[in-house]
Amino acid sequence: MTAPAPQPRIILDEAATPPARLDFGWEKAVAAVAPPRGGWSGAALVAAGIAVLALGLAALDAGNFVAAQFARAAWLGWLTLVVALAGFGLIGAAIWREASGYVALSRVDRARAAAARGDAAALAAELQRWQSRLPPGRPRIEGLADMPPDAARALVEARLLAPLAEEAAGLGRAAAMQAFAVTAVSPSPGLDAVIFAWRGVRLVRQVAMLHGLRPGLAGTVALLRRIATDAAMVAATDIAVDAMVRAVLSSRLAEHVAGEAAAGAVAARRMILLARAADEACRILPRAVSR
Amino acid sequence: MDPLALLRGLLDTTEDAARALVGRERIRLAVTGLSRAGKTVFLTSLVANLLAAGRGARTLPALSEAAGGRIRRVFIEPAGTETVPRFDPEAHLAALAADPPRWPERTEDFSTLSIAIDVERRTSLGGLLPERRVTLDLIDYPGEWLLDLPLLRQDFATWSAATLARLRAWPAAATTEFLAFLDALPAGAPAEDALAKRGHTLYRDMLRACRDTHGLRFLQPGRFLNPGPRGDAPLLWFFPLPAGARGGLADLCARRYAAYLDDQRATFLDPFFSRFHRQVVLVDVLGALHAGEAAFRDTAEALAAVAEVISGASWLERLLGAAPGRVAFAATKADHVPTRARDALAALLDHIALGARGRAEASGAVTTCHAVAAIRCTEDAVATLEGQALAAVRGLLLNGGQGATIYPGEVPMKPPEPAFWDAGFFRMPDFQPPRLDPAGGSGVPHLGLDALLAWLIGDAL
Repeated sequence: MTAPAPQPRIILDEAATPPARLDFGWEKAVAAVAPPRGGWSGAALVAAGIAVLALGLAALDAGNFVAAQFARAAWLGWLTLVVALAGFGLIGAAIWREASGYVALSRVDRARAAAARGDAAALAAELQRWQSRLPPGRPRIEGLADMPPDAARALVEARLLAPLAEEAAGLGRAAAMQAFAVTAVSPSPGLDAVIFAWRGVRLVRQVAMLHGLRPGLAGTVALLRRIATDAAMVAATDIAVDAMVRAVLSSRLAEHVAGEAAAGAVAARRMILLARAADEACRILPRAVSR
Repeated sequence: MDPLALLRGLLDTTEDAARALVGRERIRLAVTGLSRAGKTVFLTSLVANLLAAGRGARTLPALSEAAGGRIRRVFIEPAGTETVPRFDPEAHLAALAADPPRWPERTEDFSTLSIAIDVERRTSLGGLLPERRVTLDLIDYPGEWLLDLPLLRQDFATWSAATLARLRAWPAAATTEFLAFLDALPAGAPAEDALAKRGHTLYRDMLRACRDTHGLRFLQPGRFLNPGPRGDAPLLWFFPLPAGARGGLADLCARRYAAYLDDQRATFLDPFFSRFHRQVVLVDVLGALHAGEAAFRDTAEALAAVAEVISGASWLERLLGAAPGRVAFAATKADHVPTRARDALAALLDHIALGARGRAEASGAVTTCHAVAAIRCTEDAVATLEGQALAAVRGLLLNGGQGATIYPGEVPMKPPEPAFWDAGFFRMPDFQPPRLDPAGGSGVPHLGLDALLAWLIGDAL
């Protein structure tokens, strides 16, 4: 026969000093897992190899040529050296500009990550760096580091980001007018697409510059990729309105009435959406989620 | 169902359908539970862990899995122009993380909060559309008020008869004074306020003693125990009378009873309990088990009575979506028993809530039972008692912070045999919460909250 289970009981520790509060190491246990970094793709490695070969061999060839010129005459050597340095210097400046434009985008990610994990110090530092890069004439906020994170975010949103969003919308409207006009008068649909793409890329770069980003070619490509993924964040109402405009203006009846202007209106609407999506992708803090 | 309620139901159903169409669903989650079941702590933990999950922390792994890892963002919806107080998870969390820590005070008023969860769409073309936003409407309220729900279906005479029959079985130490007053009251007592107030005070004190000393829960009306922000009012000055009572006092009590119900219906029950989509019923099973046989039975009866009203929707209400589709029963404070006893806790709840589950299922809801700890305060330990090594828990006591190993006793998987109750009353001490981040950046340690939420709302994400 088994003994009955003992009654419930409290057994107090005999230690004189109370122990520290229980710690389950919860923060570490639930810490977000960083997505695996992709590393370099095969295509990127090939492209980088071609670039190194092209630039490296060109530099070696130029060096040989400069040495040969020095062998002919000193003044000829110096002149060739200056020409070679100027040429490579310009190429280097272009590469630097591309790289810094590309890196600027990752700063936006860093600031957003700091905001998401509530790291007040890192966020204040990122915001400070970001506003120092804004185009001249923009207001700057002093003492961001001393404010509570929520207040800093709200102030940056109201004083800096909201006006930027309005200007981006203004750029979108201007681009929309042009897209509308060009689409209405252009002779072929193929040309429409080319003009629309060119104007769209220009619009994206204009909006990026508003936000203190100066994207080069690589930066623009990266930005366009972001916009493609961030487009879903553009307000649902806009998507709904877009779908409605498209539905109404693309109908056969409307085509008869409005003719080519219908397609132009759709293109114009897309420009306005594109401006909003670009603003979304470039802003240092994600748009206040309530909107 | 009155025509106005029908119209409101129709409008709400239309709104739900429209919201689902544009990917902006709103789920009203009723967190119900008797007093001291841990509703406030449950809501605080739920909000903190959901917010942390929205930031990418793996605080609710089962829910994330149920949602296919598509939760992108979680945030508290900004306040509008509501007149209802706002549930304040930050303040509760800060109090729990403070040194010395404090558990939330007894809830005195209701408060609400809406929490939005942005999820990526399931379809392959979902990336082209905006994310879906599922909003959870939460409400916190004094648990005592929940037991006013069954009153809505009873008139004064029925309620009096049922209450007096029940209180004859309550501990005599608590009921003697009130019963003596009732016996001394003449059948045709006049409508004297002094008498009404005296009866009310004795009845209220009896309810308090039953709740605080004897662990009983089926105590009505709720505002007698927790008057809320408006405090004591003449509306509350009534008490149950025997069937033979006639005359002014009986009429006065009946009038006040009806007025009380009207008031509770207008201010609390209709706005918050007339319509919701999911429901979680929190039950302090261990507390009831330790409080003795009477408290254990009383808890089961209270649950069944509440479930009858909440889940017992008519076919029309079900058609209009006014009845919850999923009802989860949760045994709270599961960290007060060692890991191996938690399944037994859930199984015991299954038995206690049998009546309540039956009613919920009869009205078309799916039900389940879980054991959860909204905030885990203990770790498993071994206690050696009478030469036996027994699974126990270890935590720090709230008062003084002294370490203690607690053997909570055997947790039976079904209602225990009569011999089990010989053990007498055991009061589980309050534990200190573990070390917490006051800002709630990583949520709070819990047990089983993710599995509960995954079952409750996982399909809606």
